[in-house]
Amino acid sequence: MTKSSPDYQANQSLYARLFEPQVIGKMPVGTQILVYSALVIWTLFVLFPIYWVLITSFKDIADVNGGPYFLPWIDFTPSLHAWKELFVVDYEDTLTAYMNSIIIALASTLLCSMIGSMAAYALARIEYKPKFGTIALFVVSMILASIAVGSYGIDWKIAVAVALAIFALMARGLSRRFTRSVGNGDILFWMISQRILPPVVVVVPIYMMFQQLHLLDTHIALILTYTVVNLPIVVWLMYDFFVSIPKDLEESAQLDGATRFTTFWEIVLPMARPGLAATTLLVMILAWNEYLLALFISTSNAQTMPILVAAMNAGERGILWWSMSVVIIVMIIPVVAMAIVLQRFISKGVLLGAVKG
Amino acid sequence: MTPQNSGAPVTRPEPDAPAGLAAPTSHRARLSEWIDRRAGTFFIMPAVVMILIFSIFPLVASLVMSVSRIRLRAGGYKVSFVGTKNFEKQLFGSEQFHFLGTFREISLLGWVVMVLAALVLVWWLYRYVRSQFWWLGFIGRLITANLAFAIVALAATTLLSGNNFGTLGTTLFYVFVGCSIQFIIGLGLALLCSQQIRGRNFFRVVFFIPLMVTPIGIGYAFRMLADTTKGPFSIVWQWVGLGDFAWSTSAWAARSFIIIGDSWQWIPFIFVILLAACENIPRDFVEAAEVDGASQRQIFLEITWPQILPVAVTVMLIRMIEAFKIVDLPNIMTSGGPGIATESMSLHSLFAWRSLDLGQSAAISYLLLFVTVVVCVSFFNIIVLQRVRQT
Amino acid sequence: MSNTKTVSTAKGLVIKDLNKSYGSVHVVKDLNLDVLPGEFLVLLGPSGCGKTTALRMVAGLEEVQSGSITLGDTDVTTMPPKYRDVAMVFQSYALYPHKTVAENIGFPLKMRGIGVTEREQAVREAAQQVHLETLLERYPRQLSGGQRQRVALARAIIRRPAVFLMDEPLSNLDAQLRGFMRAELKHMQHALGVTTLYVTHDQIEAMTLAHRVAIINDGALQQLGTPREVYNDPANLFVAGFMGSPPMNFIQGEIENSRFQGAGIDLAVTGVADNGKTTLGFRPEDAEVVDAGQGLFDAIVYAAEMTGEQTLVTIELDETYFVIKMPKDFETDIGSQVGVRFAAEHGYLFNTGSGTRLRNCAVVMV
Repeated sequence: MTKSSPDYQANQSLYARLFEPQVIGKMPVGTQILVYSALVIWTLFVLFPIYWVLITSFKDIADVNGGPYFLPWIDFTPSLHAWKELFVVDYEDTLTAYMNSIIIALASTLLCSMIGSMAAYALARIEYKPKFGTIALFVVSMILASIAVGSYGIDWKIAVAVALAIFALMARGLSRRFTRSVGNGDILFWMISQRILPPVVVVVPIYMMFQQLHLLDTHIALILTYTVVNLPIVVWLMYDFFVSIPKDLEESAQLDGATRFTTFWEIVLPMARPGLAATTLLVMILAWNEYLLALFISTSNAQTMPILVAAMNAGERGILWWSMSVVIIVMIIPVVAMAIVLQRFISKGVLLGAVKG
Repeated sequence: MTPQNSGAPVTRPEPDAPAGLAAPTSHRARLSEWIDRRAGTFFIMPAVVMILIFSIFPLVASLVMSVSRIRLRAGGYKVSFVGTKNFEKQLFGSEQFHFLGTFREISLLGWVVMVLAALVLVWWLYRYVRSQFWWLGFIGRLITANLAFAIVALAATTLLSGNNFGTLGTTLFYVFVGCSIQFIIGLGLALLCSQQIRGRNFFRVVFFIPLMVTPIGIGYAFRMLADTTKGPFSIVWQWVGLGDFAWSTSAWAARSFIIIGDSWQWIPFIFVILLAACENIPRDFVEAAEVDGASQRQIFLEITWPQILPVAVTVMLIRMIEAFKIVDLPNIMTSGGPGIATESMSLHSLFAWRSLDLGQSAAISYLLLFVTVVVCVSFFNIIVLQRVRQT
Repeated sequence: MSNTKTVSTAKGLVIKDLNKSYGSVHVVKDLNLDVLPGEFLVLLGPSGCGKTTALRMVAGLEEVQSGSITLGDTDVTTMPPKYRDVAMVFQSYALYPHKTVAENIGFPLKMRGIGVTEREQAVREAAQQVHLETLLERYPRQLSGGQRQRVALARAIIRRPAVFLMDEPLSNLDAQLRGFMRAELKHMQHALGVTTLYVTHDQIEAMTLAHRVAIINDGALQQLGTPREVYNDPANLFVAGFMGSPPMNFIQGEIENSRFQGAGIDLAVTGVADNGKTTLGFRPEDAEVVDAGQGLFDAIVYAAEMTGEQTLVTIELDETYFVIKMPKDFETDIGSQVGVRFAAEHGYLFNTGSGTRLRNCAVVMV
């Protein structure tokens, strides 16, 4: 096996992967010192806040309030009181939030990767020609429906149903008249551009929508919201992967008797695995850490970890720094573990494909 | 004509297994056939429907809200149409100080900068009209120029005249200053890590970590670090004689701190992608240049930079889009204070929502959307497309 | 190796008035082909001539704009590929990189819902036919070019399709392997007796493999016939120039008063008295170099190359160059004046403008 073969890399230990002995010493000693000190300084800058949070989670209340203590066992005696409080005394709240976060992040990531990959694949391979007029018609009917609901207090269910019916009828009658159509590139741009939307623009209507559907403060509400928010990222990254897969393979599968779904599932998706891994990780991180939307949509039952962090800012009692630190640390651990596992995919420049101009 | 070459076809016995795929007969097979024929629709519909419901509908609803006045009533809302009043209030009315800033007398410097900016923009438009003209392109550039002038005018009347600026100015400060700092440091780290260095992958993993920390956690962590009496740097503060300096009461110190926190989180993103771009440059290019006797600086300027430029531009576009949405850090670290000095537009809108002023909230978020779109589209058109045209 | 179990019902393939254009480019023009059951028919033409498009239309991967394709008794013109009972071998082999050789070969059967045990049995048989039985657990990236090619073949034969479609399957192999695989393909097709439509731009491949060759240029069929017919009796200037290596030599001239006149050449012809611009062609192996004044015309030796089995003599006549194959011990000096001679029946006359062969017209020997 040669050094560059994938099997060789896979068999290397984690340590070897992190500190692989490269050809070094090409640089003059002075430059080396400069380069390494810059890297070490940045490493300290990156790690120090995390270190501070970590030791804070083991400090007594007095040690936190009493001034800066840096080294456990030397400066201060580490105590597990905050950890105990969160995982023994109040374990129900903590574990609920933790489970909520896991369920919501996993489910929304899965849904988002699935729906997004499918759309990206479809846009990469199937030609769509939606009529420009039909789209305009749809937008107009929806605007009318929202005005009807907003200004005249008509029940939203009736308004939406009527608007859809009018749209369907008009589209059927008029579709032959429309000649201008949009292409796959336009649809792709439309989907990706959804990422430009600041959450604050859409969050209030989404809040009202879930309120109407009695889905506020449920897992489903957050899962659906996160799915849509992250959909543009998946579509955008995966599109590039699917485009780069040779068409021959799919045509061959088609001739061999596979349906489009089988082709996608058996041939295309496994081949895009590296891209899917990186995309999934990215989306998972975003869903795991999201705060603003969770703040609106979840209050108690579907409370996620970021909300729990904020909850440690407990009004009159001030901020419970020690407990908050525990929550932050507990939140980082699974993500970092996953990232280390997927490190190879990330470092291989998987994200590069989509970003190339 | 019959084949004459060797191995002429011969009649063969029937095979014992079907060779082709029989046409579907069972219900299940017919259903799967029906689905397969409409695969195009089935593949894209979930995404389209989701976006329509959770993105387009809220967008439209928000637009309606922004031109309405919404009052909570028992069991529902009372909505009344008020036209552009919400926007007027932000741009010219009682909320102007909050959104745009306070305008008192404009300093000489402010006037000079404004006139210069106007001249540059007019010259830019003039050059466009002279070189090529396309009405849509011209309108787009007109909008860009107007917004650019508005931004400069805003800076001139507030910042350069010693007046406070509002949430718009703060947001633009976060976007432009923050993104520039992040890009420079991210690029530097990527260049260092693309060298032949021991432990490259270790640095790569470590530098990536901040991206995985929840923004709200970062907010609180930096609040701890910034504490001048109990934080880890309090000794330093005391030593410089700033022991009782509360950074959260100084507008610029607070803003800088938010930028540091934001950079801590987002430099990794730029770093990772630029590093991949650097490593994607074929080694031959660099080696050929080394053989030709190019210095490190020349190699960077002649080879590395042009090769990573397309990636760099796109990364900056993504970063800018995300930076416009900044809300968690100012909310946690300063709650927008002192005063409104660190309040971003997203936070402004969030506060408006908290005070149940839904119309104002929607109006502010629409203004944010407008600024984001114009800035990002201008950036894309002027920088990305310009490059595409050149190559 | 001929295993009667894998024999298929050879079906005939009829292509009628097939047309395809992309925008303003007419890629396939009124193509008519009648492939007999069990026949090995090669579509031969330069790259971009529309032969691959025609093949893909037969496979169902390209939409047919007009015309029809009939397989056996069924009209498959609009049928989706999976129901067509055709198997295709792609130029890139299109092996699924994440599946083992066995999984690759068994994929068509899996798609047909055939059980695991039966599938394994079939995979083993198919692998045996292409000598892959020891490599079943490997992944495509661990195989050599020739082995990948065999996997692609095995995946095609396992289905026992009515028609094989092959799109330049040998072009990614090195020269030596190509020669070997050519023989294998020929043997296999003979053993299985499956109707085969094969696309290539390599005329040697076409000559050696085909029962019949269809030569295509600019989307239109130029000539259909056995390799021998096509070689010995080219229908037009394009076919004459395309077949043969080195290609046929051409002399531009005009026929006037029953004489073919060109630069430095003046020959009597029969059959046609006046034809305007005419091209005279002769094959390198049909002509010989003789002493000056002894042949049909005189020219100057430009180069002489010994290839081992023969000597290729390039001669120049007024800035036109001809290649003539001479025996291996033939010797001549560069720059010397020589004559060129070929038998009357080996001179081909074509209309220069339209390219059509002047069939009843021949050069008169002195």
